[in-house]
Amino acid sequence: MANELATLSQELAAAVANAGKSVVAVHARPRFSSSGTFWRPGVIVTAEHTIRREEEITVTLPDGAKAPATLVGSDPGTDIAVLRVEQEGVPVGQAAAQPAPGNLALAIGRSHDSGVNATWGIVSAVSGPWRTWRGGRLDAYIRLDLTLYPGSSGGLVINTDGAPLGIATSALSRIAGLAIPAATIDRVVDEILARGHVARGYLGLGLQPVELPDHQKGLIVLSVEREGPAAKAGVLIGDILLALGGRSTADTDDVQAALESHGVAKNVEATVLRGGASQKITVTIGERPRRS
Amino acid sequence: MRGFGEIAERLRRSTVEVRIPGERGGGSGVVWNAGGLIVTNAHVARASDTEVDLWDGRRIPGRVVSRDARRDLALLNITASNLEPATPGDSAALRPGELVMAVGSPLGFAGALSRGAVHSIGPIDGMGTRPWIRAGVRLAPGNSGGPLANARGEVIGINTAIVNGLGVAIPSNRAVDFVERGPLPSLGVALRPVRLGLLLLDVDSAGAAANASLKPGDTLLLSLDELNGALDSGGEVLRLRFLRESKIRETYVQLARRRAEAA
Repeated sequence: MANELATLSQELAAAVANAGKSVVAVHARPRFSSSGTFWRPGVIVTAEHTIRREEEITVTLPDGAKAPATLVGSDPGTDIAVLRVEQEGVPVGQAAAQPAPGNLALAIGRSHDSGVNATWGIVSAVSGPWRTWRGGRLDAYIRLDLTLYPGSSGGLVINTDGAPLGIATSALSRIAGLAIPAATIDRVVDEILARGHVARGYLGLGLQPVELPDHQKGLIVLSVEREGPAAKAGVLIGDILLALGGRSTADTDDVQAALESHGVAKNVEATVLRGGASQKITVTIGERPRRS
Repeated sequence: MRGFGEIAERLRRSTVEVRIPGERGGGSGVVWNAGGLIVTNAHVARASDTEVDLWDGRRIPGRVVSRDARRDLALLNITASNLEPATPGDSAALRPGELVMAVGSPLGFAGALSRGAVHSIGPIDGMGTRPWIRAGVRLAPGNSGGPLANARGEVIGINTAIVNGLGVAIPSNRAVDFVERGPLPSLGVALRPVRLGLLLLDVDSAGAAANASLKPGDTLLLSLDELNGALDSGGEVLRLRFLRESKIRETYVQLARRRAEAA
């Protein structure tokens, strides 16, 4: 009784079995394990929000064996954590081209007792770079219309060809699961392997959007961190930030974007309105203090 | 192309609604053969007499002919002509990612279809050591006892529970074993896990435990998984240590013999 649905079904199962060779179970929180994906030899990527302890992390490998893992570092902003294990594993293949809404997708996870698991659905929305509510930047917004059950986060999202779209997370959107895009993972993994964390630019300012009499918008400085990068450059409380690095700043998102395009330790030119007159101040971007 | 709709329509004709007369709510069942055998969950067929609604509207009394509480399976018998039995598939060959569909009467909506993919196959914490099929299909009370079918329309599971939003089904091979060889041996007791082991709440007077002079209030000194493992091991005599009036005692339970494996 061969039929096209049965053929598709077998193709999906084969894609799951193949992708499952790269997917592990991650034991780093009470009750539920999460999933993780061999992104490079010996390097496992998982969802940062599922890592609740920094020590005694173990993973269940595709062959069922348990292995100790060390936390190299994590980036809450993009919900990425990087683990290292002794085993090389089977890293994922070449990432897929950006998916289109409507493409079929599978999220592959693993648990210790039941082995590989899968949920099936479609990509429901795709857009360009997107800032998460946790402050990180995803290279693309890939929303999934599939159910992420407990333990799915950190697993691999693939298309029906088996090519990776990214890593599944339920923590970046209230309304749907997302795939953290492969390009973002590549970038963040590089930084975490090099530095142990992702450095974010920092001015040390408290800012509030204001409308100026000429209907232009700016950000008024409400607080200045002592000895912070902006304080050292001479920014004062009451200054109104009009532009940063040539980008006008109507909203704090514009500041984030300007800091990202310049980077830590680089100089950036700030245009501020002080006492009715516009003036330029050069600020050396600092690194955002990390949560301890 | 044979789509979900066409396959679901055939499956629907092999699916029944099972109710206990006088009680609210009901479950589903699978027409197993043309002779009138219906497979459902033991927790759906709670009484010895049930009412079975066929897809075409006929309502027929169903008598419980066999029950396996430990596997949550029951077998009913109905007398009806022109039944359209389901085709069992091989649940051992099932893989995560395969497309599946469930038919049943969720919340009383007869013939409702939900579809999804197999999530995983394996044991579930707190639900014994035997494997279950977990599927990303939306189930509701009333789906219990109904079929979970693959993309060829073969029944590969009996929908039984919902755990963390996932449909949980008994693999069809376990249902086939139940139909062909009868229930697994059981003690014939109601019990509750306690710190020391398993406290007997009730003992069926015709059951194996009663024959071995076990009584309500006795505490069996083993875990539920150990007991299930021992019952499933195929042995005919089970040695049990238990606690009665602060003394450790021992008894031998003679288990019912199962029918030989079907050739």
